Amino acid sequence: MYYIDLAVTGLSFGCMYAVMAVGLTLVYGLLRILHIAHAAVFALGAYVTVIVANATGSVGLGFLAAIAVTPLFGMAVYRLLYEPLLRYRPDVPMIASVGLLVLMQDAFRIAFGEQGITFRHNIYAFTIFDISGVRFNAVQIAIVVCAIVVFVGLHIFTTRTRIGIGWRATVSQPKIAASFGIDAIRVRYLSFAVGSALAAVAGGLVGLLNNLVDPVIGSVVSYKALAIIVLGGLGSVRGTLMASLVLGMVEAYGTIFVGSWLNRDAIAFIALIALLMIRPQGFTGARAA
Amino acid sequence: MIAALQLEDIAVRFGGVHAVDGVTVSISPGEFVGLIGPNGAGKTTLIRIVAGMVKPDRGRVVLAGNDVTGKSTASRVRKGLALTHQVVRPFREMTVLDNVVLAAGYRRTSNPLQAMLHVERWRESERAADILVRIGLGGSEGKLAGSLPLGEMKRLEVARALAVDPRIILFDEPLAGLNQAEAARQIDTIAAVHAQGITVVLVEHNLEEVMRSCRRLIVLNDGHVIGDGAPTAVMADPIVFEAYVGSGSATHAAH
Amino acid sequence: MSAYEISLLSVIGINVILAVSLNMISGFCGQISLGHGAFYGAGAYAAALTMIASGSVVFALLSAIAVGALFGILVGFTSLRVHSDFLAVTTIGANFLFTGFVRKQGWLGGEMGISGIPESGFGAAGNMIMILLFACTTIALSVYISHSWMGFAFRAVGQDEDTAATVGINAGAYKLAAFGIGTALAGLAGGLYTFFTQFITADAFDFILSVMLMAMVVIGGIGSTPGVVVAAVVLTLLPEVIRFVNNYRLLVFGGLLVLFIRLAPGGLAGLTRKLATIAAKS
Repeated sequence: MYYIDLAVTGLSFGCMYAVMAVGLTLVYGLLRILHIAHAAVFALGAYVTVIVANATGSVGLGFLAAIAVTPLFGMAVYRLLYEPLLRYRPDVPMIASVGLLVLMQDAFRIAFGEQGITFRHNIYAFTIFDISGVRFNAVQIAIVVCAIVVFVGLHIFTTRTRIGIGWRATVSQPKIAASFGIDAIRVRYLSFAVGSALAAVAGGLVGLLNNLVDPVIGSVVSYKALAIIVLGGLGSVRGTLMASLVLGMVEAYGTIFVGSWLNRDAIAFIALIALLMIRPQGFTGARAA
Repeated sequence: MIAALQLEDIAVRFGGVHAVDGVTVSISPGEFVGLIGPNGAGKTTLIRIVAGMVKPDRGRVVLAGNDVTGKSTASRVRKGLALTHQVVRPFREMTVLDNVVLAAGYRRTSNPLQAMLHVERWRESERAADILVRIGLGGSEGKLAGSLPLGEMKRLEVARALAVDPRIILFDEPLAGLNQAEAARQIDTIAAVHAQGITVVLVEHNLEEVMRSCRRLIVLNDGHVIGDGAPTAVMADPIVFEAYVGSGSATHAAH
Repeated sequence: MSAYEISLLSVIGINVILAVSLNMISGFCGQISLGHGAFYGAGAYAAALTMIASGSVVFALLSAIAVGALFGILVGFTSLRVHSDFLAVTTIGANFLFTGFVRKQGWLGGEMGISGIPESGFGAAGNMIMILLFACTTIALSVYISHSWMGFAFRAVGQDEDTAATVGINAGAYKLAAFGIGTALAGLAGGLYTFFTQFITADAFDFILSVMLMAMVVIGGIGSTPGVVVAAVVLTLLPEVIRFVNNYRLLVFGGLLVLFIRLAPGGLAGLTRKLATIAAKS
C-alpha cells in the first residue's frame, strides 16, 4: 500500500507541477526567455488566495481573486521588464527574472511575515478519503481534476478556437502567423495572462494542500519547473505535461533510493543537469539550449 | 607534391537527405578554385565540413598532408586553414584593429597558459595595421567592427583570414549582398590574396565574377561533383547546364 | 581599530575576492554562473576539514583552492555543452546540488555545519590583513589577465565562440581556464572565510548568495574589475550603514539588480564611461 500512497503523492505533485509549468513553457516558446520570476507569480497567487479566503470565508472567492490579479502582474512583468530586454542575449532577461524573484520573495516576507499565513477555514486538506487503505485528501483530487481541466481545455482551445489556433501558430511559426494577420503582441500578453492565472491556481492549491503560504512557497517549484520544461521540450505543452508527471513520480519513488544522501528537491536538479548534458535541445522540442 | 586540400569520399546526411554524397576532390597549392552549383547542391555544407563545423558521416579531410578529420575548427586554423563566412561575423564589440590583432596573435592564443603569460601586442598590432592598409580599410582601425557597412565588413573578414598566416582560404559566398562595384572590388582583393601564393577556394553564386577569376571550377549538384576543370570547359558541359536550368535537355542533346 | 571594523573589512575583502573572481568567469569570458556560492562553499568545507585534521593554515588554504578549482572545472565542463541562460540554469543546479548534498552528509556536519574549527593563529586583525592581501592580489591578477592575451581571448570567446574558432582560439579550453581560475579564487575566499568565522554551515553558500554576487558584478559593470570592486565594497557596506537595507537586504539587492539590468546594463562602469564622454564633450 505504501507504494500506492507514493503513486498518489507523485501523481498529485506531477499534476501541480504541470499546471505551474505551462506558463513557463509558453513564455519560453514565444520569447526564448526563462521566466524564473514565474515562481513569484505562483507565490502571489497563493497569497491572494489565502488572504481573500480568510477575509471572506470562501476559498472559492480566494481562487477567483487570484485568477483576476495575477494575469495583470504577469503581463506587467512582460511589458516592463522583458520586452525592453528582448534585444539582448538570453541570459540578460533571465538574470533580471532571477532578481525579480528574489525581490518579490523578500517583499512577501516583509509584508506577510516569515512564518507565512495559514488558511482559517481549510476543510479540504483535512477531508480525507480512504479507498481500501489508500489515503488521499480533497485537495489532491482537486489538483488532479484541475490539471485534467487545464490540459483538456488548452487542447480544445488551441485546436478548435480561432484565437487558440492563432496562438499555436505564433508559437511555432511566428513569421507565417504574422503574415496571416495574427497579432504577435496580443499573443504574448495572452500567454502571460493565461500562464500566470494557471500558476496562481497551482499556488493556491499548494497553499491549501500544506495549509500554509510562506514566502518561499515558489522557489523550489520554480527550479523544478525549469527541469520540466527542458525535459518536455521547450515550448511544448504536451511535453510539459508528460515531463511533470514523470518528475512527480520519480521524486516520489526516488526518495526511497537516494533520500539518505541527497534531499528530494535535488533529484530534479540532477535530472536537469543530466538532461542538458545528454541532449541540450530537450527531448521532444527542437529549440536549442 | 602534397595537395593543399584533399577530400576523400566525404558524405553527410541530414534527416534523410544526402546533403553531400561521396565527394572526392584534390586541390593543389596555389590553385584558385571556384565551387559552384545550384541552390541546395551542398556547397555550403561541404565548406562547413572542410572547416570543421559539420561532422561528416564518412570520409577524410586532409590539409596539406595532415588528416584533420574530426579535429576542431580552431586546430584546423592552426594547420593553415582560414575561412570567411557567408554571413559576416566580426567581433562586433571590438575595434576593427583588434579584430585583426586577435587573429594575428594566433600563436599567442594557442592555449590559455601561453595566453596568460604574454601581454605585449605591438608586433601583432603592427602586422594588423599593415594588413588593414593593404586591404583598403586603412582609416577605420578605431571604429567598432559592428558599425561598418557590409562591404567593409566583408573586407575585414578577409583581413582577419590573412592574419592567421593561412596556406588555404575558404571563401563562403564573399560577394553575397554586395553591389556590382563592391563585388568587383572584393574579387580583386581575393585575387591579390591569391597572388601572394595562398590557395583559394571560393563558393559563389555570382558566376560572372567566378568565371573572371577562377582557374578551375568544381560543380556540385545534389551532393555530387558533376563537373571539374577549366571554367569555359565546365560551363559548356551540358550536364552542368542541365543542373542549373533543370530542363532535361542534356539527355536529349545529340552528340 | 575596533573588532567591528576588523570584521567589516574582513567581509569586504572576502566579497571583493568573490565578486572579482565571478567577474572573470561571467564578465571576461561571458560564461554566466549563478552558482558561485557552491565553489566558495566547497573551499570553505575543504579548509575546515583540513584545518581540523592538520592544524596547518597553509594546507587548509591550498586544499580550499584545489577543491574549489576541481569542482569548478567539473562544472566548467558543462559550459562546453550548454550556453547562456541554460548554462546559468546548470550552475544554479550545481549550487543546489552542493548545498543539498552537504546538508545530508554527517561527516560534513549535515544541517548543523562544522564548528570548532581551530584558529589560524593570526588573530582577528591578522586574519583581516591576510584577507586584504589576498583581495589585492586577486584584483591585481584580474587586471593583469584583462590586459593579457588571455583576457583578449576570453573576450572573443564570450562574444562569439564560433568566430573565435576561426582565429584559432579553442573556446572550450578557455572556458575551462576561466572557470578554473575563478573558482580557485572562490575556493580561496572560502578558506579565508573559514578562518574568519571558525564555524560554517551550508546556508552561507546558497543560491541567494550567488545571486547577490552576480548582482555585485552586474551593478559594478560586467567585465570591469574596478567597477566590480566598487560594487562589492558598496553593497557590503550598504546594509551596515543603512538599517533599512539591512532588514530588507534581498529586496534591495534584487531591486538594484533589476533596475540596473533594465536601465543601466553597463553597470557603474558603463555609467562612469558615459559621464566621462559627456564631460569630455563639454
